[in-house]
Amino acid sequence: MKFPGIYEELFYKALRIRLVEERIIELYPSDKIQSPVHLSIGQEAVAVGACQSLKQTDLLFCSYRSHAFYLAKGGHLREMFAELYGKATGCGHGKAGSMHLAAPEVGLMGSSAVVASTIPHAVGAALAAERLKKPQVIVAVFGDGATEEGAYHESLNFAALHKLPIVLLCENNGLAVHSKLEARQAYRITDQAKSYGLPVAYLADGHDVVKVHEVFSGIVGEVRRSRCPHFVEIRTCRYKEHVGPDEDSHAGYRSVEELQAWKSKDPLILNQELVAQYRPVILQEIDDAVEFAERSPWPERSELLSDVV
Amino acid sequence: MALIQARAATDPTLETEVVTYREALFRAMRDALARDPRVIIFGQGVDDHKGTFGSTLGLAQEFGAARVFDTPLAEEGMTGIAIGAALNGLYPIQTHIRSDFVLLAMNQIVNLAAKYKYMFGGRFEVPMLIRMVIGRSWGQGAQHSQSFQSLFAHVPGLTVIMPASAQSILECYPYVIGRHRGPVLAIEHRLMYDLKFRMDEVAEKANGSPLTSRKVRAGNDVTIVATSIMVLEAQRAAEHLARVGGIQCEIIDLNCVSHPDRSLIVESVGRTGKLLVADTSWQAYGVCAEICRIVCEHSPSALKAPVVTLGMQPAPCPTAKSLEDRYYPNLRDLTDAVATLVTGTDHHGIPLPDEHSMADVYKRFKGPF
Repeated sequence: MKFPGIYEELFYKALRIRLVEERIIELYPSDKIQSPVHLSIGQEAVAVGACQSLKQTDLLFCSYRSHAFYLAKGGHLREMFAELYGKATGCGHGKAGSMHLAAPEVGLMGSSAVVASTIPHAVGAALAAERLKKPQVIVAVFGDGATEEGAYHESLNFAALHKLPIVLLCENNGLAVHSKLEARQAYRITDQAKSYGLPVAYLADGHDVVKVHEVFSGIVGEVRRSRCPHFVEIRTCRYKEHVGPDEDSHAGYRSVEELQAWKSKDPLILNQELVAQYRPVILQEIDDAVEFAERSPWPERSELLSDVV
Repeated sequence: MALIQARAATDPTLETEVVTYREALFRAMRDALARDPRVIIFGQGVDDHKGTFGSTLGLAQEFGAARVFDTPLAEEGMTGIAIGAALNGLYPIQTHIRSDFVLLAMNQIVNLAAKYKYMFGGRFEVPMLIRMVIGRSWGQGAQHSQSFQSLFAHVPGLTVIMPASAQSILECYPYVIGRHRGPVLAIEHRLMYDLKFRMDEVAEKANGSPLTSRKVRAGNDVTIVATSIMVLEAQRAAEHLARVGGIQCEIIDLNCVSHPDRSLIVESVGRTGKLLVADTSWQAYGVCAEICRIVCEHSPSALKAPVVTLGMQPAPCPTAKSLEDRYYPNLRDLTDAVATLVTGTDHHGIPLPDEHSMADVYKRFKGPF
């Protein structure tokens, strides 16, 4: 697909992710998606902006909130819906579900439901890239909550100590399930990362997809050149509940005003002209993917005990 | 199944090659590095003057700090790093000088390494080896003495081995590193590092996997299923009982705790009708319980007497020698248990060996670690 400029291209990619997740919300009551979904709605621009400058051979490691990164990194939409449906044609052959999307063919090396657990994997992959002289950049994606885990600090220390080609990307949405950042952290994330000697970037507006792309592209270029680790924190906003298809701002654990403030500068809400232009073609692709999932077979019984060891 | 003599070499007239457990480990590590440039070894102190009790000594100098390196004290992080390294083409060997420390890495081992293949529909493999050492004696105490084979073997996706001889090491480790495609945990025993083993029957297994159980002594009176150093204790007990009581024990070295050779066990018990399980850990919910499950599920009517199990006392390990000697089953306990099981009476009248402390028999070092 041809785009007049980078903004339109990134907008299209972010809109695609949003419309995919809105379709998941529509389908959810049908119970065809029997898997907990952690929606990325509100955070699409971070994934799209970050992945734009990555090659397929660059490796990405994600958390359970990974629909956006799966699509942004180039994972197939059909295989994603098939996976959510638990079908044999899914990217994890029906054994992964929403929380464990992977697409090794485009460098998405896994996503885990245990917070912070894939950060050391990214560091290990960077170690292998360094030792085996692969020209890859490795990216670890994690939320603000992950920075409280021990494995996070162990990973940053090792990446910095061994000067590994990795970008540590913190998607800070300020929430861990229903717990606010202020109730959890005695430190500032970037200050803390700096203490490991890592070069640090901070972006306050995770909706500015072009800016995310520019900043991230600069960092990726620097890591590709220097083979040294970099850290970037991007503020963003999770619109939906921690897990599930609904909004839950009425529950009182978060500020409705803050949510509205984010929405008021969301290009996917503001730029309805571009939405109207791209929506039909995206919906067509989604229809096709859902149809593919619907008509795909369930995993064979023999799959139950295959690929265990 | 070939009979593999895995007994500790005590006979000075042996003509065959004799290799210590430590030398076998060193050879396995060195050969792995020499054979494949993708192999790396890391862990606390792998490059120091002790070299993981000698098993990695000098390898950093020989193969370089990029391939053999010390780590931060970050067990979980380093296991995660091993997984990521494996996903991107390296073969990582992680070491722990005590198995107790591996508990810090349980999240990565259980939630990630064990599941990475299955959870993503077989699209990834994480070939890697985690070595850990069980401590015992000289006051190792509650946190330097534990045997977690059943914890690991409980989890599908993990392969757990407990080499009871240099032969097992030289058969299993090259296979694990060179051919096996999943995560393997090798639980070594500190007291065995200095023991010498005859290498007369090391079998190159071209086709079959060595990651299974092995019969190390043939007999028709009782089946002893044992792990790690308890295999050696069982062999000592068996030799004594053959000599003074005419009792012939069959001994099965479980070796691959996660994937035991069930048919070997069931066939043996079917013949002897009597089963004793001797494990290095606690009996409850462990190897002892699992072997009983295998026999009960496959051949319950084969048992002519209740099963007997031996393991650590159901308490944390004490440091005082007077208590520690009672904490582990010794040769006398084991011999008595076998004699009682075979004769059907504890008034069996068979003279028992007089050694009280197994640690005194096996230990060549005088502490501290």
